[in-house]
Amino acid sequence: MKRRDFLKLSGAGIAGAALLPACGGFSGGESGSSGQLIFSHGPEESGALESLIKQFNEENKGKIEVQWRQMPADTGTYFDQLRTQFDAGGGDIDVISGDVIWPVQFGFSGYIEDLSDRFTEDMQADFLPGPIEANVYQGKIYGVPWFTDAGMLYYRKDLLEKSGFKSPPATYDELFSMAKKVQSDSGTKFGFVYQGAKYEGGVCNGCEYIWGAGGLIQDQEDPNKIVIDSPEAATGLETERSTVEDGITPEAIITYTEPESDTAFRNGDAVFMRNWPYVYGIVLGGDAKIKTDQVGVAPLPTSGSGDIGYSTLGGWNLFINAASDLKDQAWEFVKFMASPEAAKLRALKGAYLPPLKALYEDAEIAKAAPVVPLAKQLADQIRPRPPSPFYSDMSLEMQEIFNTALKGEVSPDEAVSGLQGTLQGIIDKGTQ
Amino acid sequence: MAETVTGVEAEPRPSRATPGGMLRALRSEFTDRDRRLAYYLVSPAVIIILLIAVFPILYAILLSFQDVIPNQPTTWAGIQNYIDLFVDPDFHKALVYTTIFTVVSVGIEVVVGMAIALALNRVFPGRGVARATTLAPWALPPAVAAIMWRLMFQDQIGIMSYLARTLHVYSGTILGSENALLVVAILVDAWKTTPFMALLLLAGMQVIPGDVYEAAKIDGATTAQQFWRVTLPLVKPALLVALLFRTLDAWRVYDLFWVMGLRQLQSVSVFVYNGVRISQLDFSLGNAAAVFVFLSSIAIAFFFFKVLGTRTTE
Repeated sequence: MKRRDFLKLSGAGIAGAALLPACGGFSGGESGSSGQLIFSHGPEESGALESLIKQFNEENKGKIEVQWRQMPADTGTYFDQLRTQFDAGGGDIDVISGDVIWPVQFGFSGYIEDLSDRFTEDMQADFLPGPIEANVYQGKIYGVPWFTDAGMLYYRKDLLEKSGFKSPPATYDELFSMAKKVQSDSGTKFGFVYQGAKYEGGVCNGCEYIWGAGGLIQDQEDPNKIVIDSPEAATGLETERSTVEDGITPEAIITYTEPESDTAFRNGDAVFMRNWPYVYGIVLGGDAKIKTDQVGVAPLPTSGSGDIGYSTLGGWNLFINAASDLKDQAWEFVKFMASPEAAKLRALKGAYLPPLKALYEDAEIAKAAPVVPLAKQLADQIRPRPPSPFYSDMSLEMQEIFNTALKGEVSPDEAVSGLQGTLQGIIDKGTQ
Repeated sequence: MAETVTGVEAEPRPSRATPGGMLRALRSEFTDRDRRLAYYLVSPAVIIILLIAVFPILYAILLSFQDVIPNQPTTWAGIQNYIDLFVDPDFHKALVYTTIFTVVSVGIEVVVGMAIALALNRVFPGRGVARATTLAPWALPPAVAAIMWRLMFQDQIGIMSYLARTLHVYSGTILGSENALLVVAILVDAWKTTPFMALLLLAGMQVIPGDVYEAAKIDGATTAQQFWRVTLPLVKPALLVALLFRTLDAWRVYDLFWVMGLRQLQSVSVFVYNGVRISQLDFSLGNAAAVFVFLSSIAIAFFFFKVLGTRTTE
């Protein structure tokens, strides 16, 4: 009898003990010990982020400690992880760094905190209008711009000069002939690399080709009207495809994301590259086989009847988790990260475009990172992707079609007419 | 008193197949103190399984009859989701790829696994080491193996791409073509799981007593006849288990396709992930597909037991 009773008691005890942590976990997620903030961001090579976090932790020793939780480099994967945590009840990340296409989606679902009373309109006026607009949903502002981003054309100044070219190309036709000549003169492996894989970056590139040919995705007067089905848009996608057909871009471009393309360029294997400003930061940091005096940056070229080369607005913003217990401390950290001093450090160390208007007059930044004055020059040529609470679905469609068009499996005309229907359908669902 | 042979009861038990029989069986289970203790001890595990496994499945099935957008009020949709699912071209593509993947990869694994098991069944110097090393590919986590192979097939640095180009097998971009990726996925999966099959089959073979083979040899059986008439029938239980595991795993493949293909390769589970996790408007479709995977997996398991299981008891 004794053994039986012992077995009964221990069985009940183990079952009870097993259920206890489950009870604790259901309370929705606590952020570390009091004053410990968790900040999420993808990998960062220049070291600017690490030094900022260290500085903040020193200044706030004993009160707040910030821990950097590294998230995936692919923005889509990062987004999925966040959504999983949000759907499960909030998660424990306090300050979230988020891509410019997220505020509308997260705000729509109530996952991030409405910052309208903390981030006043006076404070907003110091920032560039584009990034601010991307953070607004239904009149409320959900994020503070951290750094902004725009697609740019990188080129090998030294190789171009060797082949007799004084300035970067203004049209894709010029780019094609320059790339071919430089490749045959200097034996460079690739003429032109960019991001053509089936992911968000592919959408950014595809949009730039469409806009650079004079096409539009949304109507300028009525953003709820999709107008992608146009001959100009088709020309844009055709230009993208001809980079492969003409041989200056490898066929494998359909699998290239940012890391593949920046690796090719910084190893000296590409004459031209379309990428974000961060690559300049890597070259500045010395982590490349080429030096800053070999690299030039320019606006993206045009094709067809387009006269302005547009860049896709990228950029990352700081959000506060609506489920966080440390919102005041989180706001302190956000203010620090978005301050002019932090933005200047990131510009000097990592070539990150500051979202503050004043820093574009700073001579020191302009000298260290030519991407910054270029961004200022491009200010009117930077366009956002279509904002919608259902942007993820629109992106899935565009990713698929742009990649298929780049593979040559569907003609540019079919591509844009197909997208017209599906994108309009998604926008309509979002505005119901 | 008649002597009873050990293991055989003197009186036949009352049949339990009738409702009356079942009630009697239940009552006898709960009146017996020892049996009751057994139930008490098992109940925590059963409760946890009900919470973790049964409740989500039932909830998913319930959701599949509704039109769901995350964080928005849901409306009842009847079987509309399933109708939409079965006309969706992406779902068709996913179904085709998954079926091809399942049939071909399991086929390769059974044949090659059987061959390896036969080889390892013999006694030879270094047999222990050979057995240990064949298990190495299976020990790798699937995501790690997928990334490793993806790098090998990458265009700039991949050794496999280089070989494919120089041997004129394939000069396109392997990672960009869905069909090439499917072939690669099948090969990688075969590489990874054949050891598992081989070991399960080897375990089944080791149980076969040696004298059966000796008897066969005396009867003049050739090696091929020994395999088909002796080994194969006796290894059938292990083969059934191995086939069942592998077929279900291959049918539900997700990590290999997702990590190696990076959205270029569709399987039914990838379709579910796209619908439920990435998209916001296609949640109902993804959910219906998930229920489809669940029901079809049950059907596959049922098929295996019904068709291949009963013969072992003859």
